[in-house]
Amino acid sequence: MSMRPGHRTFLRQWRLCACVLIAAGGLIAARHAQASESADAASEFKSVDQDAQALKKQLIDLNRDLFRLEEELLYPASTQVAVFLSVDVGTFFALDSVTLKVDDKEVANYLYTEREVKALHRGGVQKLYLGNLKAGEHEIVATFVGKGPHERDYRRGTSVRFEKTLGAKYLELRISDRVASLQPEFVVRQWE
Amino acid sequence: MSRNDHYARARHRALIETIVMLAAIVAGIIAYPLVSRASPAPGSEAPDFALKGTDGRNLRLSEYRGDVVVVSFWASWCGPCRETLAELNDLPSRVGNTGPVVLGVNVEGDAARAASIAASLGLDYPTLVDDRQSVGRLYDVERLPLTLLLDRDGVVRAAWSSKEPPGESLVRRIEEMNP
Repeated sequence: MSMRPGHRTFLRQWRLCACVLIAAGGLIAARHAQASESADAASEFKSVDQDAQALKKQLIDLNRDLFRLEEELLYPASTQVAVFLSVDVGTFFALDSVTLKVDDKEVANYLYTEREVKALHRGGVQKLYLGNLKAGEHEIVATFVGKGPHERDYRRGTSVRFEKTLGAKYLELRISDRVASLQPEFVVRQWE
Repeated sequence: MSRNDHYARARHRALIETIVMLAAIVAGIIAYPLVSRASPAPGSEAPDFALKGTDGRNLRLSEYRGDVVVVSFWASWCGPCRETLAELNDLPSRVGNTGPVVLGVNVEGDAARAASIAASLGLDYPTLVDDRQSVGRLYDVERLPLTLLLDRDGVVRAAWSSKEPPGESLVRRIEEMNP
């Protein structure tokens, strides 16, 4: 059967076009399948990551609970005494170390690094001592060592007598500035 | 079984038990110095400490978490310590850019003397002064020099306490720890 040349060219072009369309369709389908596979993998990865994060959070919570439990067991409220240290402004005193005595017995001697001093200046509060004391009257003496005004070596002690009752006792050693005299001030505050 | 046989067997068992007990005691006495280490054992976390340096700055070990740290305990009367200190001074050039943080800890407590020796050796790294010997006790320093290699998590990876400086062995261990 004979075919006109124009018709033949048209058929060839049509076949070529059909092949291109099929190939393009195949490519799109393959790409889609790949995308869906990678989406599945991504969602699976995300899910594993979420599980890991949840597990990590649970571990942190558990660790915190254990820490609290340990503190409650080792330092029951009836005997617990905690001493904290904070710095308010503190431009007249560069803290170097603190020695803490409770009833004339040294219980803490802390040396501050530059980073720790900066943290205190930014508002950090340090737990300097945590211990047990029986109910009754006690005395704490804190000795602060550092550089005072005009870069002079500075050593100052402060003491407080306090009554330990049945509840936990919290004491705060606060270093602040006495602007009137351009000197540092060391204050002990009691919290119940 | 006669009564005599029974007693003989009991005596025999008692003798064996006594010998086993004595052997255990002797083994314990022999093994104790080997088991009880003079410093934190490799694999254990290095106890944290804060000390004043001869330059007046306070340094805390835990602030170097994330870095490989070499801590060397020394005293002025210890000759081999000086060799070790001098060798540690060259460590950054031997290891390269990823060199460790080196801390020298003088266990005598005499800051002026420690500073003078550090200056005479030209030490570039901080010299800390254990003025209360509290860190020496914490680390059970029985022999000097004692050099410890800590990894980025503050865990002791190796310890050297011989008269010879750690040398290549230390460099190799540091290179192994660097990624």
